[in-house]
Amino acid sequence: MTAALAAWIDSSVRTWDLLRQTIVWILRGALRRRRRQVLQQLYEMGNRSVAFITVTLGILGMISVFQVLKQVEKIVPDFSMIGPAFIQMMIREFGPTIAGLMIATRVGSGIAAEIGSMVVTEQVDALRMCNADPVDYLVVPRFVACGIQSVMLSVYGVLVGVLAGAVTAYLFWNVPFETFFRLDLVQWGDIASGLLKAMCYGLAIPVISAQAGLETRGGSEGVGTSTTRAVVNASFAVVVLDLILSGFSYLVLF
Amino acid sequence: MTGVMARVGRITINTLVVVGGMTTLLGRILRSLFPLRCDARETWRAFYKVGVKSFPIVILTALFTGAIMVIQSGHYVHKTGATSLLGWAAGFAVFAEIGPILIGLMFSGRVGANNTAELGTMVVTEQVDALRSLAINPTAYLVAPRFLAMTVMLFLLTAMGDLFALFGGAVTAKFMLDVPVWIFLQQVMDAQLLDEYLLGLVKGTVFGMSIAVVSCYYGLTAQGGATGVGRAVNASVVAAAIGIFVTDFVVALMWGIL
Repeated sequence: MTAALAAWIDSSVRTWDLLRQTIVWILRGALRRRRRQVLQQLYEMGNRSVAFITVTLGILGMISVFQVLKQVEKIVPDFSMIGPAFIQMMIREFGPTIAGLMIATRVGSGIAAEIGSMVVTEQVDALRMCNADPVDYLVVPRFVACGIQSVMLSVYGVLVGVLAGAVTAYLFWNVPFETFFRLDLVQWGDIASGLLKAMCYGLAIPVISAQAGLETRGGSEGVGTSTTRAVVNASFAVVVLDLILSGFSYLVLF
Repeated sequence: MTGVMARVGRITINTLVVVGGMTTLLGRILRSLFPLRCDARETWRAFYKVGVKSFPIVILTALFTGAIMVIQSGHYVHKTGATSLLGWAAGFAVFAEIGPILIGLMFSGRVGANNTAELGTMVVTEQVDALRSLAINPTAYLVAPRFLAMTVMLFLLTAMGDLFALFGGAVTAKFMLDVPVWIFLQQVMDAQLLDEYLLGLVKGTVFGMSIAVVSCYYGLTAQGGATGVGRAVNASVVAAAIGIFVTDFVVALMWGIL
């Protein structure tokens, strides 16, 4: 138990250190040199996740509306507030968080698998030999790209989820679109809270996964282990950040 | 134009190959489960590894989930002053939807990805071929025990996790909203959420099955050394997430109609 705790503290210290190094490299102007890699990562993480986000967030919107309407039907047959409340919840909570978990799954495991296999095939050592720092060369582009694309994908995910929810409400309960698409309840605080969450997830995921990838040891077994660790740690970080930021926005923004 | 057609065709064929492969894998698993023909010791080991090792992360996730749901419903309670709705809203969201999904996603990351990595390593180091050459059926020896373990364990973890989520919610309600713990729990009891709790358990069981099939499929089809294992794990967690949402939709729809 204590050994596990010590290992956990040790690896989180090194994760914070990786974050510090990444920020130092960005402040030193790494972005200008790495523009091509950043664009490539933006494509890799953003464009190629669109289908995944569409499926998962779309289905989430459909199920949520279906189940809530089913429940509300039993109590009060008044569906006028369902749309606004659903849109508000999507913007503030479910859109960014579920999209964040999906990004942790897809992008986080991708980063760890890629960097991990570079480590075991000694490509990272080769980089060091060419006097290229792996943090500068590998982590900085992924950090920046994931931070940007997490926000983009969250906004897109909210749109998809709300659309899917509206279609479900229309098909099963004949709730007209005009009643559903109302932004009465949405305040600026909700939008700020959602965007803040998306950005924090986007910055936490690449650092945690890259840390897992850089610490890969051994052959194929090591790559598998570090990819698993990246997914678990990144997803868990999303849940913890969600709790912290929800509490923060409840106490501060409202 | 031909480029687009070729891409559509390639994506369709790839999807069909994956879905077909998973279906035949499920068929082979079921055939080695009825009648029960899987190795007892390997099954016991799988139960231990799947259940005990994922317990802490799942319970922590559940605690946080309950807390988040209480904070989010707290906004409405704060605005309307209807404290009595708190237990219903948080309990309903956790039991019916968010609890099973978050527990399932965490389980997929911890157990599913680990399983793919393990099987993938065995495949690329030719240990699975070694089993075959000893006339041991890899499905009955490796895959069926894991399938059994993941299905049973995700059911149990969902059943326990939901209760831990309530506990996390109760503590948050006390500290953030000033609602005493026993009043919160009383509200959850009064809300009569047995149906939603059972729905969540059904979802958990089905998620366990789909995570097991997906992760075993990608593990067994891994190829090409360390890079291949990493890529297999990546593809496996993505497919497991899609599987969770799709089966969630199917179960919710069936539950609503029946």
